[in-house]
Amino acid sequence: MNPVARVCRNDLISMARNRVAVVAILLTILLSIAAALTSIAHRDANADMRERFQAEADTRFDGQPARHPHRVVHYGHFVFRVPPPLAAFDPGVDAFTGNSIYLEGHRQNSANFGDVRQSSLLARFGTLTPAFVLQILAPLVLIFIGFGVVVREREAGTLRQAMAQGLRAPQLVSGKLLALLAAAALLGAPGAIALGWLVMTEGAPLLPALMLALAYAAYLAIWAALILFISARASTSRGALLLLLSIWAAFAILVPRVAPDLAFAAHPAPTRLETDIAIQRDLRQMGDSHNPDDPHFAAFRQSVLDRYGVERVEDLPVNYRGLLALEGERMSSLLFERYAEQLAAEQRRQSHFALMASALSPTIAMRDFSMRAAGTDLEAHRRFLAQAEAYRYTIVQQLNRLQAEVLTFDDDSRRNSDPDAARRVRIDTDNWQALPDFEYQAADPGAQLRSAAPAALWLAIWLGLAGVLVMAAIRSLRRSVA
Amino acid sequence: MTLWRHEWRLLTRQRLAVVSLLLLAVLSIAAVIAGLAEVHRQHQVIDRIQPQQQADEAAIARWVSVEGDAGNAAYYTAHATWDSPSAMAFAALGQRDVAPYVLRVRALGLEGQLQESESYNAELALPGRFDWAFVLTYLMPIFLIGLLHDSRSSEREAGRAQMLTVMARSPRWLWGRRVILRVGLAWLAVALPLAIGAIAAEAAPAQVAPFLLISLVYALIWTLLILLIARATRASVANAAMLSALWLVITLIVPTLALLAINDRHPVRQGVELTLAQREEVHAGWDRPKEDTMAAFVRLYPEWADLAEVESGFHWKWYYAFQHLGDVAVAPQVATYRQALLARDAETRLAGWVLPAVGVQYALHRLARTDLRAQLDYQDEIRRFHEQLRRYYYPYVFNERPFREADFANAPRWTDRPDN
Repeated sequence: MNPVARVCRNDLISMARNRVAVVAILLTILLSIAAALTSIAHRDANADMRERFQAEADTRFDGQPARHPHRVVHYGHFVFRVPPPLAAFDPGVDAFTGNSIYLEGHRQNSANFGDVRQSSLLARFGTLTPAFVLQILAPLVLIFIGFGVVVREREAGTLRQAMAQGLRAPQLVSGKLLALLAAAALLGAPGAIALGWLVMTEGAPLLPALMLALAYAAYLAIWAALILFISARASTSRGALLLLLSIWAAFAILVPRVAPDLAFAAHPAPTRLETDIAIQRDLRQMGDSHNPDDPHFAAFRQSVLDRYGVERVEDLPVNYRGLLALEGERMSSLLFERYAEQLAAEQRRQSHFALMASALSPTIAMRDFSMRAAGTDLEAHRRFLAQAEAYRYTIVQQLNRLQAEVLTFDDDSRRNSDPDAARRVRIDTDNWQALPDFEYQAADPGAQLRSAAPAALWLAIWLGLAGVLVMAAIRSLRRSVA
Repeated sequence: MTLWRHEWRLLTRQRLAVVSLLLLAVLSIAAVIAGLAEVHRQHQVIDRIQPQQQADEAAIARWVSVEGDAGNAAYYTAHATWDSPSAMAFAALGQRDVAPYVLRVRALGLEGQLQESESYNAELALPGRFDWAFVLTYLMPIFLIGLLHDSRSSEREAGRAQMLTVMARSPRWLWGRRVILRVGLAWLAVALPLAIGAIAAEAAPAQVAPFLLISLVYALIWTLLILLIARATRASVANAAMLSALWLVITLIVPTLALLAINDRHPVRQGVELTLAQREEVHAGWDRPKEDTMAAFVRLYPEWADLAEVESGFHWKWYYAFQHLGDVAVAPQVATYRQALLARDAETRLAGWVLPAVGVQYALHRLARTDLRAQLDYQDEIRRFHEQLRRYYYPYVFNERPFREADFANAPRWTDRPDN
């Protein structure tokens, strides 16, 4: 038998005989299965609920009676974001970001009803999902199984014996690494099966799922190499365990929490309230519709009059109030977009800054990669916000156009004093039905993966480092035995 | 006393123990500084918005007061509210990063406005905050495990246990001193930075004391657990593995399972439902006979009975009446939603009796007023403020009294909670 295979086999046998290791692996696998099942059920329930709400909102919108179009602008519409299939694997920020937005004229509302805000602080302990199990728990279990993989033999004196019998250090290290990787594969298997299940039955995109499986395999391999290295260098198994536990606590728990604080300090972002005030201020500067002498609106009015070659707005073939509404909405939505982009840029800088902490913890890179590939990162949420805003603008402007083209200026001006005019400005239900429905377009898998590229690079760096650690383990074994 | 000094000398010779204690102190100091910085930032935000808010109100006052239409004043003015962090918020930052602590409301239907979110970076909120509560709940137990798991087994492994037990006047006290010294120092490493931070935050001693007490009790609970497991004659390394597995189960795994169970037992889709319902109610107001709306409103505000008649097609008093009736109509849904949230919170407290990590987190965040209930309290304050606002505008709207610059200045102002 090949010496590498023999070492590997011996280690696997001793793992199988180690009651604690077996129990730990079995419990983790059970936990992964539970995580996958609840997470899939949770995503499906969420998707169902949001689809139902969307259908209800669509029915209500289309079923409005005859109304003045501007009433419909204020009645507004609700849109919901359905979580992507891979959210069942890694829900990312889905629990934090709101998933429904109320769309109305002149205003840009926030996405509301994120789960975390509706939960007790238990939500901040983490959620049991396949991603959580693989990122946080699996490395710790691997540490329990593997911390003694070399040092125990050193303590027992069998290491020297084996080397004396002609086993070379690279063979020994490769065999032990293989044994650790086998254990890691066992720990990762339920997650991989969950990914496969999502691709086959829930329509999850194949390429991102594949990349997720690969990235998690690399992540666990990094841990296996680290464990092997520490175990090869340690003089006592207790020292190895304590050191590995500290490293785990730093990588998985501590650094991920410290990094955001630094990112917030480096790139402060305004509160929603300040943005709201700033938009109102800028809007007044662009043109104040409440000021009868406002230069912007005076110029707008003149340009309309010139275009139709008339002297007074009353003589226009279209309803000037509708034109004003179109212009007002154009201006405010320009600002909404500008400020949303500013905020997005600031938040991207924050996230990039925090991702640099991957230099101190591979867990940060893994988490970032995972949610980006799964399409549950903040970028995906922003895409939803942007599409919701575009949809809001489309339907509001179509309604304003109806006001401009179907209603007469005369009726519109007297709608509050003349009951007949009030009746005439109400237009039929089929106008609402003619407006498009909201369809959220998820990013294509390629874009998802491209946004995960920086994190992938960090993982690759860590994987390279893992290779260096394995070489170092070999060298230190040679030295300690020689 | 000499025995204590002797024990101290022993401790200082163990490099691992000394480094662990120092590291724990450094982490606690860092967490306190991070918490203080975050609270300082929140105070700054609250200060920073005041002049912006004033400028915004002034700009609205400028054009509204020309015609003096109170309806416009009430419609366009957004009134600022804020929820200042409590003195001890620095120790447990809690949910203040995911829920707004500054919010503007208008005198229109309120319930939808209360659900507005803050535009925070969710990717950074995901791992949770680095604050003192985190150091205490998650990290201190790990350090205690490191310090205590081998207090007896290491002597046994070194072959000294037998001799020490025979030589000591009271063997129980021998181990007792060792454990007390280590736990005491670990607790001090965590608690002292907090006490100093509390002085910096100008917290009253009565506010700090519960934090210190809770941290002591938590340290003792873990000490007990560790000693119980370390009692068995096992190798140090097996103790360490067993204890860290225990830590994993009770601070990470079981809480996530508890969250699943609790959220499953109390679904909260009512949140979305109530905003949908409120919109329906408010907009149905446009189509309902005006007399019905005004009659319903007058039942709640009889003082306006004489002025409740609406003649023209549109009048602000009718508009504000149906805005408010929208809130009244969804009151049952609001109550159900709130009940579900409170039930989630209450069951988390119950879970805290079994899970020390959850119990400590719950207690600290309740004391710091940074939890879900603090969020709901803030919303209740806003509801009261909104009522004041509406009552301020109604006389102008109903009497068609002109609304001038001075009336803007006299509008109700948000005042911070008295205990902040």
